[in-house]
Amino acid sequence: MITFRAGNLRIPRFEKPVYVVAGGLTDFRKRYPEKTTSELCADALNMAVHENDLKVSMKEFKGLANFCVYSQFADHFGDQLLAAAKVHDYLGFDPLGNIEVKTGGATGGHAVLAGALAIASGYANVVPVVGWERMDEVPTKVGNAYIASAADKDFESELGWMYASYYALMAQRYIHENHVPRETLAKIAIKNHGYAVSSPFAQNPMRITEKDVLENPMVSDPLAFLECCVMSTGAATLILADEEMAYTLSDHPVRLKAIASGTHTLRTADRRAMDVLLLPNETPDTYKEYRENREWPGFSSFLAARMAAYLAYHMAGIKDPVEELDLIETHDAFTISDIQTYEDVGLRPYGQGRDFIDSGDAYLGGRLPTNLSGGLIGTMHAVGATGIFQIVEVFWQLQNKWAKFHADPKMWDRFDKVMPDDIEDLQVKNANRGGAISHAGTGSHVSMAILENP
Amino acid sequence: MAVQLIGNGLEILSDDRLVIKNPKHWFHIHSYGQLTPFFHGLREKKLLGTRCTDPHCETRAWLPPRAHCPDCLQPAEWVELPQVGKIFTHTTIEYPGALFKLSTPCPLISVEIDGVCTKPMSYLLEGEPKIGLPVRAWFRIDNPTNTILDLAWVPA
Repeated sequence: MITFRAGNLRIPRFEKPVYVVAGGLTDFRKRYPEKTTSELCADALNMAVHENDLKVSMKEFKGLANFCVYSQFADHFGDQLLAAAKVHDYLGFDPLGNIEVKTGGATGGHAVLAGALAIASGYANVVPVVGWERMDEVPTKVGNAYIASAADKDFESELGWMYASYYALMAQRYIHENHVPRETLAKIAIKNHGYAVSSPFAQNPMRITEKDVLENPMVSDPLAFLECCVMSTGAATLILADEEMAYTLSDHPVRLKAIASGTHTLRTADRRAMDVLLLPNETPDTYKEYRENREWPGFSSFLAARMAAYLAYHMAGIKDPVEELDLIETHDAFTISDIQTYEDVGLRPYGQGRDFIDSGDAYLGGRLPTNLSGGLIGTMHAVGATGIFQIVEVFWQLQNKWAKFHADPKMWDRFDKVMPDDIEDLQVKNANRGGAISHAGTGSHVSMAILENP
Repeated sequence: MAVQLIGNGLEILSDDRLVIKNPKHWFHIHSYGQLTPFFHGLREKKLLGTRCTDPHCETRAWLPPRAHCPDCLQPAEWVELPQVGKIFTHTTIEYPGALFKLSTPCPLISVEIDGVCTKPMSYLLEGEPKIGLPVRAWFRIDNPTNTILDLAWVPA
C-alpha cells in the first residue's frame, strides 16, 4: 500500500514564469530515407525559428539561446549512441550546454519539463527543445521487440515482445470492471484517424467506420490494428523562454503555466492497491461505490497520470479541467489507454471514462476537443518527438494558428502531399488554455503540461 | 604491407538516397544476479518469491521477486509460493514482436496468487483464458529456455 507522506505531494513551483515562443515539426512517415535524423531536426528547428513570427533570424536566435534539451527514446532504433551530440553539433549549437532526456514514451513531455526547469530557475532564458525518433531502420516486428525491451527484460519482454499485448491485459480488465463496448473504443480510432486527415504532418490519416474497426484483425484482443498507434520517423521542436526573452522573440508568446510528472512501477503486475488520489473536482464520496468492487489503480488506471494531473492542476489553479481547458492532447497509444487517461486526468470520474467520448465532449464542438492533431493513432508516434509534437499543436491552437500550419496547400506540398478536399477547419475558437499528456510504458512515467494565453 | 579489408562490404538496398543494409550478429551476456534462485527454482518445479522480514513493510510476497524490499531497501528472504492462482486478466497475442519464442495465438495472462502482492504476467499453456479461471503452475523442465517462459499456467 502506497501512503503519501509529507513532501510527496508538494505542489511544484516555477520561480520565474515560463513561455513557449515557437514550435516546429517535420511530417511523420513510416519510412523516411530521404533525410537523416539530424536533417529532420534541422527542418523542425527551421520551422520553429522562421515560421512562428519570431522577430529574429536563425543566426540571431542562436546568439540568444543558452541551453539545449534533446529528446530521443531509444538509442538502438537510430543505431547511434549519443545521437543528441550529433544533432546538437549539426544544428550548430555547440559549445552551449545540453542534456538528453529519457523517460520512455514520455520522453518528449519530460524534455519540455527539463527545459522549463532551466527557464523557471533562471539557469537559462532561451532553450530549444528538440526531439526525434528514427524508427525506420528495422522491420516493424523488430521495432516492436525494441519497444518491448523497455519492459522488464527478465519477467515481461519475453512474454510477447509486444507492448500492445501488455496494454491488452489492461484493456481486458478495464472492460471487465467498467463494461466498455468495443463500439466506444472504435469511436476513438475513428475520431483520431479522421482528424489526421486534416493534418499535413500525419502518417495514418483515414476516414473509417465502426465496421472497419470491429472487423479489423486483432493485434492482441481486444486491441485491433486500427486501435494502435503508428510507428514513425520524424522530429519536433519547441522553443522556451523567460518572460523578457519571450517578448523579445515574439509578440504572442504562450505561457507554460504548469508541467508536472508522475511515475509508477514499470511492471503493471507490481501495482499495489491504494486510496484514490483525489483531483480538485473529486471528493471521497465520488469513489465510495467504485472502490467497493475494484482495486485502485489496479490494471484499469494510471497512478502516474493521476499524479501528474494532480500536480499540474494545482500548479495551474485548475479546478475542473473539462470546464477550464479548451483543448487537450492525450497520449492515445491505444484506444483503451485513452479512456483510462480521461479518468486519470479528471475528465470523468473513474469507471465513467467512456462517457467522455460517448457524450461528444471529446470532439471539435464538444466541451473539450481531444487530439485534434490526429494523435498517436492517426498522426505520429516518433517517440522522442511525440510529447513535443503534442505541445506544439496545442501552442499553435492557442495562437489561433492552426490554419497557418495545417490548411495551407504549400505546407502539404512541402511534404509531397496534396491538401484534401474534405479538410476540416480544426481551429478551436477562442482557445485560451490547453493541456498535453505525455506517457510511457504501461504508465511508468507520465507528464502533463498546461499552456495558456497570457 | 597495405591494410586489407577483412570484413564484408554492405549491401545496397536503394541508390536514390543511398540506403545500405547494416547487419548485426552478436549476443549479450546477461546475468539474473541475485534473482538466480527464482530461475533455479523453476528447474525443480518450485515457485519462489521474496518477502521482507520487517513486519512494518509489505507482508505479502513479491513475484517477480525482488532481492531488496522496495519499501525499506533491505535484503528480502526467499519463500516458496502456492502453485495455484486465478486469472486476473488476459489477452491473446496474435501479432508478437520479432524475438517471441512461442507459437501464436498465445494467451497471455496476469495471475492472482494468495499471499502475493503482485499479479505476475505469464501465459496459459492450454485452454481458454477467462477472468477468474483457477489455474495451476506448469514448469518447462524438458528443453528449458532459461527465461521466464519456463513458467506457465494450465487450468486447475
